[in-house]
Amino acid sequence: MHALNKNRPFRRIVLASAATVSGMVLLLSLKPHAGPALAAGTPAPAPTSSSSSASPGTTKAPATGTRTVTGDSVQTRWGPVQVRVTIKSGKLTDVTAVAYPTENPRDQEINGYAVPQLRREALNAQSAQIDSVSGATYTSDGYRQSLQSALDSAGL
Amino acid sequence: MTTTLAGGRAARRQTMRRIRPRRSPAVPLLIAVWAGAAAVLWLWWHNTPAIADNNGRVLNAGRITGLLAGYLMALVVLQMARVPALERRVGSDRVARWHAMSGRYTLCLIVAHVFLTMWGYALQAGRSLGDVVQQTVDSVNQLPDMGKAAIGTGLFVLIGVSSVGGIRRRLPYDAWYHVHLLTYAAVFLTFWHQITTGNDFAVEPVAKTFWYGLYGAVTALVLWYRILTPVRLNVRHRMRVEAVIEETPGIVSVLIGGRRLHRMGAEAGQFFRWRFLAPGMRFSSHPYSLSAAPRPDMLRITVKAIGDHSSRLRELVPGTRVWAEGPYGALTAQRRSRGKVLLVAGGVGITPMRALFETLPGAAGDITLLYRANTTQDLALWDELAAIAEERGARLMYAVNSPDGERPDISAENLQRKIPDVDHHDVFMCGPPGFAQSVYEALRGAGVPARRIHHESFEM
Repeated sequence: MHALNKNRPFRRIVLASAATVSGMVLLLSLKPHAGPALAAGTPAPAPTSSSSSASPGTTKAPATGTRTVTGDSVQTRWGPVQVRVTIKSGKLTDVTAVAYPTENPRDQEINGYAVPQLRREALNAQSAQIDSVSGATYTSDGYRQSLQSALDSAGL
Repeated sequence: MTTTLAGGRAARRQTMRRIRPRRSPAVPLLIAVWAGAAAVLWLWWHNTPAIADNNGRVLNAGRITGLLAGYLMALVVLQMARVPALERRVGSDRVARWHAMSGRYTLCLIVAHVFLTMWGYALQAGRSLGDVVQQTVDSVNQLPDMGKAAIGTGLFVLIGVSSVGGIRRRLPYDAWYHVHLLTYAAVFLTFWHQITTGNDFAVEPVAKTFWYGLYGAVTALVLWYRILTPVRLNVRHRMRVEAVIEETPGIVSVLIGGRRLHRMGAEAGQFFRWRFLAPGMRFSSHPYSLSAAPRPDMLRITVKAIGDHSSRLRELVPGTRVWAEGPYGALTAQRRSRGKVLLVAGGVGITPMRALFETLPGAAGDITLLYRANTTQDLALWDELAAIAEERGARLMYAVNSPDGERPDISAENLQRKIPDVDHHDVFMCGPPGFAQSVYEALRGAGVPARRIHHESFEM
């Protein structure tokens, strides 16, 4: 375009803003929305009663009493994530994150709200079928995987 | 009194050269810029597994704007690094307009990035939109390099505000310029948080290397072309003011002597940024075109006293040291695509046209100069122009206001009447913005294609 062609600054501003905003909306909406489905093989929302599942499990202990099982340590982009579950009478009663990324202050800040939220979701769902916490996608993925492995080991 | 700098041997030799048009590298450069932006967006895409909810959308919008702002920031600085390919081939004026445009856009991205990221963090922490300010304070306190980034962002906003049309016109040029120099500090301060808190650079060593490479290359180009190159130029050529000559009331020529000035590689139509080491003038440099083809021992600029700086030129004492940076500008013989050339000058815009009039290759009758001024008294350098026209067999025309102050009518019809084959000319034009605009429209009306109208303008 020649510099001396009619210059329409207002139109240019509107065009640039519209192009930027719509480009960004397009990019954001093209991204898959849910976290990647991880808890494979358990399509049904695992109910509490199905304690005697088909999976052989490691310790076929009676479904009474209190047990704690530690899940796998899952390597994420930001560092390892590992959870320990407490099971009382076949019910998931507590999840503790024993390892999660804390290398920088932002990690600490994220984990300040993400880990409690993941715990709350897991206790509500009584399974590893939980949503990712936005802004903590990697930690959420690791959390789900570690939780799933702990539940598998516990035969829950 | 007029100076006679016409008729140099070097100038005469230049008129015999073949016409070899060179394309401006603007299009390949713009393609490279878009490709880089696409690569930055791909980096984000590649490193983002999924977006869970609205909060994730806000955060990711913050990341995209941040990445693009970081990328464009490097280019905004690069545009002012005085890289010869940009200054001499694309044209300093065009690059300056790109710089202004991309600078404004980048500032908007920065503001959007700060707001979106802090809003996203606030949402994550279970706060509401109203807590964005508190969230920002917390983040600046807690996250690495965010203190520096906050200061840098403040500087960017200050620079942006000082460049808004109305405010910039009210500021003295020097003040605006020195505020603008803070850009370097602001870029440095905001660089580090990109590396330490940016997701994409934390997890992707290749991306981090690329980012360092981008900023490192720009830094190297700035140091080389803005500092080392001018130092070398001035140490080699040791320029001093030889004489100051009043051409017409309000227009002065400054003759500048030095060593082997023909080796500076300046062409007719180009300009230097001049800094005169005299009291009150040493802290700012100003672009003035050469008003004659460079000679081995002498350069000449011709300046109209409009601003502070240009009125002080009149008082320059011979012997004053001169610091020059250049040559810059793409309004040279290289722009031309065919035999016939029309030069159009408005007022003091005659300076580069005068140099081109003398040196543009062409046979008798190929070159025409149309000179517009308010009165015949204001036709600076007229005697020289007449002598050159005589010697080269070139056409020289002027247009001045009628005695009752009426402006001459430079319309498509009048141009066609005076120059019947005007649509077969390359047109070089220099003059005040309003004048350039109206001549451009007249030329287009007379059938001259836009790509053959060559013009430089330093108005933003």
